[in-house]
Amino acid sequence: MKILKSVLMTLALLLSTSLSAQNITSVHGTLSDDMGELMGATVCEIDATGRIIESAITDMNGNFTMKVRNPKDKIRFSYVGLKTVTLPINKTTYVLKLQSATKLKEVTVTSKRRAQGNSLPIPQRELSYSTQTISMKEFEGLGITSVDEALQGRIAGLDIVGNSGDLGKGSTMRLRGASSISSLTDSNPLIVVDGNIREVNMDGFDMAGANDEKFAELLNINPEDIADIRVLKDAAATAVYGSQGGNGVIELTTKRGARGKPKVTYSLKLTGTYQPKGYDLLTGDDYTMMLKEAYFNPRQDDNASNMATIPEINYPTATDGFADWRQYRDNTDWRDAVTQWGLRQNHYATITGGGEKASFRIGAGYDHETGTMIENKMDRFSTRVNLDYNVSQRIRVQTNFALTYSKYDDIDDLLSVALKKMPNMSIYQKDPVTGEDTDMYYNMPQSGEYIGSEVFKNDQRTYVNPVASAHLKKSQRRVYDMNPELIINYDLLGLDDEHTRLTWRGSVYMNISNHYTDKFDPQELYSKRWEDQVNKATASSSKSVSFNTKQTLTLIPAFANKDHAVMMMGRFELTSGSSSSQSTDGYGLPTTNGVIDSPSAGGLIGNMSSGYSQWRSMYYTFSSHYAYKGRYIADFTLRVDGTTKFGPGNRWGYFPSVSLKWIISDEPWMQKLKPTLSMLAIRPSWGRVGNQPNQNYLFTSKYGSADKYIDMSAMKPLNIRLTDLKWQLVSSYNFGIDLGFMDNRLNLTIEGYQSTTSDMLMGGFRIPSNAGFTTVPYHNNGKMRNTGWEFHINTNRMIKAGKFTMDMNANFGNNRNEILEMDPYILENKNSVYGYNNGETLRRVQLHNPFGAIYGFKYKGVYQYNYNTVKNAVEGMTKDEIYAWWKEFTAAGKTAPVAVNADGNIVLEGNNVPKRMMYDYRSDNTGHDGSFPGFNGGDAIYEDLNHDGQINALDITYLGSSLPKLTGGFGFSFNYGAWRLSTQFTYRVGNKIINKARLNAEAMTSNDNQSQAVNYRWRQEGDITPIPRAMFGGNSNYNTLISDRFVEDGSYLRMSYAQLNYAINKKHLTWIGLNRLSFYASVNNPFVITKYSGVDPDIAFGGEDPAIDNAQTPRSRSYTLGITVDF
Amino acid sequence: MKKNYYKIICAICVICGFTSCSDFLDIKPQSEIILEDFWNEKADVDNVVAGCYSALQNDGVRKRMMIWGEARTENVMGGQGISNDVNLQNILKENITAMNSYTTWDGFYDVINRCNTVLKYAPGVAEKDPAYTQGDLNATIAEVTALRSLAYFYLIRTFRDVPFSREAYTDDDQEMAIAATPFYEVLNNLIDDLEAVKDDAVKRYPETQPRYQAGRITQDAIHAMLCEMYLWKGDYDNCIKYADLVIKSKKEIEEENEKQSKTSAETKAALEVRLNGYPLVYDNLTGITYGRAYRTIFVEGASKESIFELNYDEDPAGSGMLANSAVSSLYGHSNGTGLLVGSKHVKEDIEADFSKREIFEPEPKHKLDIRLYLNCDGTKDNSPIMKLAARSIEIDASKATEPKLDGYSLYAQNNNSSQWIIYRLPDIMLMKAEALCEKVDTADNEINKSMLQQAFQLVNVVNKRSICKKELTASDTLKLENFQSKTTMTNLVKRERQREFMFEGKRWFDLVRYALRAEKQNDPNPTAEVITAVNEREDVNKEFSQQFFKKMDAIFWPYNIEELKVNPKLVANPAFGSGENSSYEKAN
Repeated sequence: MKILKSVLMTLALLLSTSLSAQNITSVHGTLSDDMGELMGATVCEIDATGRIIESAITDMNGNFTMKVRNPKDKIRFSYVGLKTVTLPINKTTYVLKLQSATKLKEVTVTSKRRAQGNSLPIPQRELSYSTQTISMKEFEGLGITSVDEALQGRIAGLDIVGNSGDLGKGSTMRLRGASSISSLTDSNPLIVVDGNIREVNMDGFDMAGANDEKFAELLNINPEDIADIRVLKDAAATAVYGSQGGNGVIELTTKRGARGKPKVTYSLKLTGTYQPKGYDLLTGDDYTMMLKEAYFNPRQDDNASNMATIPEINYPTATDGFADWRQYRDNTDWRDAVTQWGLRQNHYATITGGGEKASFRIGAGYDHETGTMIENKMDRFSTRVNLDYNVSQRIRVQTNFALTYSKYDDIDDLLSVALKKMPNMSIYQKDPVTGEDTDMYYNMPQSGEYIGSEVFKNDQRTYVNPVASAHLKKSQRRVYDMNPELIINYDLLGLDDEHTRLTWRGSVYMNISNHYTDKFDPQELYSKRWEDQVNKATASSSKSVSFNTKQTLTLIPAFANKDHAVMMMGRFELTSGSSSSQSTDGYGLPTTNGVIDSPSAGGLIGNMSSGYSQWRSMYYTFSSHYAYKGRYIADFTLRVDGTTKFGPGNRWGYFPSVSLKWIISDEPWMQKLKPTLSMLAIRPSWGRVGNQPNQNYLFTSKYGSADKYIDMSAMKPLNIRLTDLKWQLVSSYNFGIDLGFMDNRLNLTIEGYQSTTSDMLMGGFRIPSNAGFTTVPYHNNGKMRNTGWEFHINTNRMIKAGKFTMDMNANFGNNRNEILEMDPYILENKNSVYGYNNGETLRRVQLHNPFGAIYGFKYKGVYQYNYNTVKNAVEGMTKDEIYAWWKEFTAAGKTAPVAVNADGNIVLEGNNVPKRMMYDYRSDNTGHDGSFPGFNGGDAIYEDLNHDGQINALDITYLGSSLPKLTGGFGFSFNYGAWRLSTQFTYRVGNKIINKARLNAEAMTSNDNQSQAVNYRWRQEGDITPIPRAMFGGNSNYNTLISDRFVEDGSYLRMSYAQLNYAINKKHLTWIGLNRLSFYASVNNPFVITKYSGVDPDIAFGGEDPAIDNAQTPRSRSYTLGITVDF
Repeated sequence: MKKNYYKIICAICVICGFTSCSDFLDIKPQSEIILEDFWNEKADVDNVVAGCYSALQNDGVRKRMMIWGEARTENVMGGQGISNDVNLQNILKENITAMNSYTTWDGFYDVINRCNTVLKYAPGVAEKDPAYTQGDLNATIAEVTALRSLAYFYLIRTFRDVPFSREAYTDDDQEMAIAATPFYEVLNNLIDDLEAVKDDAVKRYPETQPRYQAGRITQDAIHAMLCEMYLWKGDYDNCIKYADLVIKSKKEIEEENEKQSKTSAETKAALEVRLNGYPLVYDNLTGITYGRAYRTIFVEGASKESIFELNYDEDPAGSGMLANSAVSSLYGHSNGTGLLVGSKHVKEDIEADFSKREIFEPEPKHKLDIRLYLNCDGTKDNSPIMKLAARSIEIDASKATEPKLDGYSLYAQNNNSSQWIIYRLPDIMLMKAEALCEKVDTADNEINKSMLQQAFQLVNVVNKRSICKKELTASDTLKLENFQSKTTMTNLVKRERQREFMFEGKRWFDLVRYALRAEKQNDPNPTAEVITAVNEREDVNKEFSQQFFKKMDAIFWPYNIEELKVNPKLVANPAFGSGENSSYEKAN
């Protein structure tokens, strides 16, 4: 309100100054051009600010009459195609002949491309900080659904890893590496849409949730609405965002309306998607055979898996007394049963247009997608309205409104269960008479009279039939997201570059975001008793409203000496928001087929919870830009952030930055080189940004309720107050070189940077517990450094031959991180202690070393012969005979689990008995598992590095790094007339991945289905194979320890997309009234060239842990057909 | 130009209008109270005092009371599901390292810090709130001092030397890494603290709150604690003094109750034979079914012999109070045993021929001691520890020569509401007996004889109370003539303690006390009793433990590795390993 009032006041002030009047009350006259009288020409009275006060139109003879409100105003005559004339109102009759606009003598219009966004409108070539811009024109008509897909491989230093191919799930992005290793602060870059940041409260969010939440921002923006994307990389560039931009910034600008007659565009995309398959799984027959061996091997007992013990894997018949015998005779491909071809349709229509006063762009889209997993679907409706209204020459009002409604039906866990489910079981219940499938789903009975073999109790019995859960479960998320915004621009002084300009811009932005989740878990999926909380429904919702206001003053002084150019900006920004959430679950609902699925429908109420939180912040920004002769450039920015997260003493953070640029190629002495070297500039910069914790009230002592005692309500102190919690500071240096060759047909940017994070905010800091608490939530500790370089090339019509042009882009980058300082305790605590378990990764974090090192054993294959075979063979021999025998044995390439010394000789114990290879054996019986007898034939051979006759932690060695040596991407585009072909590739080189998905698929220690590779397992003595024997039980064997068997090279080259575009010549369209008609076909993610054996080598490397492939849903492949029509 | 300046001023005014709210950045939490708004009235103090109890009642704290007090003794062995709890399994194997999660003590320090917080802020409340009188304040101070002392007492009995502080920790800039204070220094501090506040403590809670009398700290509870602390200190006169104070107070309460409910003369006479005037809970004396007394003490709670117990509600659902889940998970429930069950040694003793009994007395021919059935079902391999896992037990004694377990019902899983008793009168009586025995010297005089006789009487009362027979004959009870020497009498007291408080979290502490006493008396082999006890244990390597327990350090517990890492002033117990494995090859 305050803003409006003041605007009205200033307007009133303005009007009151021009009250004195001459007595001209109306004007009339005739307009003509070279051809004669003009009909329909516009005559209008405009005031000092350019507003139209009165207007008239000429008649058939070119005559007009118009009332005049204020003789101090001016009169303007205009007609399409003719030059507009503006005259003072000093007479009552005007007879004019308008000149043709095309006849004007040639004028040179110099327009500088200026940077958009939240910072100063600095001309593009004067930008002194590190940034990279992509215009969405390049993606026009591409089958991309979200911005992160478009960015993949395009921005140097931006590492985007697809988290999973599930619907509505985002990616992990790291711009120049993570600035902190704490898992509590978010490491994703900040996403800014039209200068606005969507504030989401992070209190109590886990990182995964926060990640999804952030990416909702990206997903909620329809790629069709985006005009361009700008990535801000160094601290000088992100300085205007202060602590919010500590991890880099991705600025998106949406399209706005343009002057012209209304233009309607409609586009349609049809996309088919499917998931890459991954490992081939065992068939039912292979599976039962594998399980029988797995049960036999540890006990060497036929009864371990016979019909009486495990009827399910013995192909029971009606006479075996096993009620469900019909259900276990199948070869079901569960993965096939839950996956499908997904189909996505995207409709998007926009209307743009506008006149002198107002312009608009209205877009609305509807997307419908069926996922690659059965019964998974998504609907999204999005709309965005951008209006610009010029109240006068000085005042411009903009309003933007965006709304997105999305609905997801996603039943999770289908694929992971399908991969584990026993394949000899059938999906549907068999008809007891005919033996044919009925339409009832079959689930292994979990309780009740006859529940099959006990061995499946903890795994197969708990895996709900995934086809059944897809069809019967309900899991629906609905998200409403609304962003209204109102902006007023007021030019207080000059209106063009010739005069000193002072502009005030005030904006109010709101974000309203409501989430609703409804779930229902029907009884049919479980054979549980009624009292075990069946028919469970959950309804939860969260609502969040945030409010942001910005006041910006921009001053651009005009100097007589054109060598100097200065811009200054001051901004004040306030944000406040609150969110509330609630959740209810009920069980025992009175329904049998999912008709009633609301928790309030008369069942028992299980849990109810609610939450409320609020946040506020305040920012001051000062930014200035100075250019001398357009080639010596200096920028300075200071941002001051105030936050509720810190106590009064540390509430404000000050974040300065300085950047310089010298455009060497503009120097007079470089002019000779100009034809070839069109651009040479260097850009050093320094800046400091900060980071704040994601919790409030850390600096106060809080009291909350404790468990009641007898009848007394109880309270307790909840925390240790953090009296001196400080901002985490990141100060970074950047040095960039811009090169342009041959009139900027080839552009090249090289950047090097080093950023140091100090006072790192470490979460969950352990304190001596005699303080009554074991941890404090945050602690400033440690220092780390990211160092890296980037290289980026793009071309502008690099090759041109007739109708043919070709362009390319390429970038690569490398980032290394290193911990410089850290409390030894925290450091040690980040190192895991080896627990001697299968599949356990060891984490080591060391000072002056990068993260992500992989440690494990060296894998040497599988023992061919049993220990006893060797023991019996050498019984009675003398020492020398045994040595000779062993030499012969090994020379034949045979292996057996006996200890070997450094010289390759067999180690003998008393009585010349060969020493058996042991696993973490300790004489005091405190070793990992005293019941393990030692290795045997069919077990994995690990290299005994220290030749102590046992495999233990001392045999663990460094196996590689999860950090890529190089990441990047490149792309080509070819144009031939109306045809365009563009391609984009991404790659990563030199990183290692622990393929835990394969480890679990080849472990053969449980009842889970396995990969077909296990068909090559060791089965009898003498077998030469890389796959160990099947052994049931987690502790029965140590065949799947992390070893180089599972550490694979994660280098890859992926084709992100290829697209072929054809636009029909406009000439052929006019007769049907169309302006544009273009078709395209594209293919996304069609292939990956990699040595990696998993489904997708695109594995996130998170913080301190090595990169581990945990069998996430792979990125789907898709084929798109599209059409765009302009009416 | 002038009007432009107006506009600029206008715009600046608008901007500044927003900045004027300087406390814009002060927001308060919605679901918690901050310190500045707390500690204003009596209710705030009462709430945090209740918070001290609920911290003591916390599952982690309670489990440690049980595991520290029992898991290393010959009373227990692993039960169902023990393989899922590697840490407890390792304790049973006597393979304890600093990595063992049961060596963490944060729950106890949570109690201590809550108590210290009350002590820091309660005096301020007394100044603000007229309803909170000086007397109330003194009572609060006595109550939380007692709770703090109790928590420290558990810690020193377990770890010997522990960091000791009377400061409340509220800020992260306080010095938290403090060195451990030696055992006896802490003990003396605790005694001093309790001596200072004992007279301010509440003697009787209002009758409208029957559960408070045993469920909260009373003067009797403080006296009981002093009695035990003096016993540990070796100050036997003071131990006896405070034991007598507690016994006297309990007798007074009993007399008052007596006035209201008239007991028949016949019953009185029968009780006099059994209890000699001590107000212990007695079973019905019909001679047909027994087990009622057990129910009164452990299930119903707040019995007349109870001095301080942690209260668990009868009906935990919805009342907001914790169920006794520590008992449920460690001692069992209606679906199976807990992680611990009665050991083979105990079961053998129960089932053995009477003449070979070691824990129970070899004299009575028949299985007349109710505790034979209560403590443990000796006939079964997989029975929960009934003393706390059962909600009722019936012993059929209709055939006087052949009493038998008639039936029992167990608490449902996670619904256990048995009371966790920290002090009850038999404990005080047996401590007094122990002190009397220690006072006996080698001289053969009347003083010594009378002391032994007094001690015998105390033990005999506790013992007779548990005999499930209507008419007691000489052959059913202990005979004084068998316990004429200091040694035999001391051993009798020790055995009586073991069987009376079996599974009540006291046995290991008793063994530690015996060893500390022997050490003080310069016994060359102070841990002999610990070794004897440990030798009876199932899972322990005998040769190893013989050697291991020769060190006094071994009878205490190691500090947790996490504490050692963050507190450089703590010195690890040398008897135990850190549990961490050696170095790995470094990255290239």
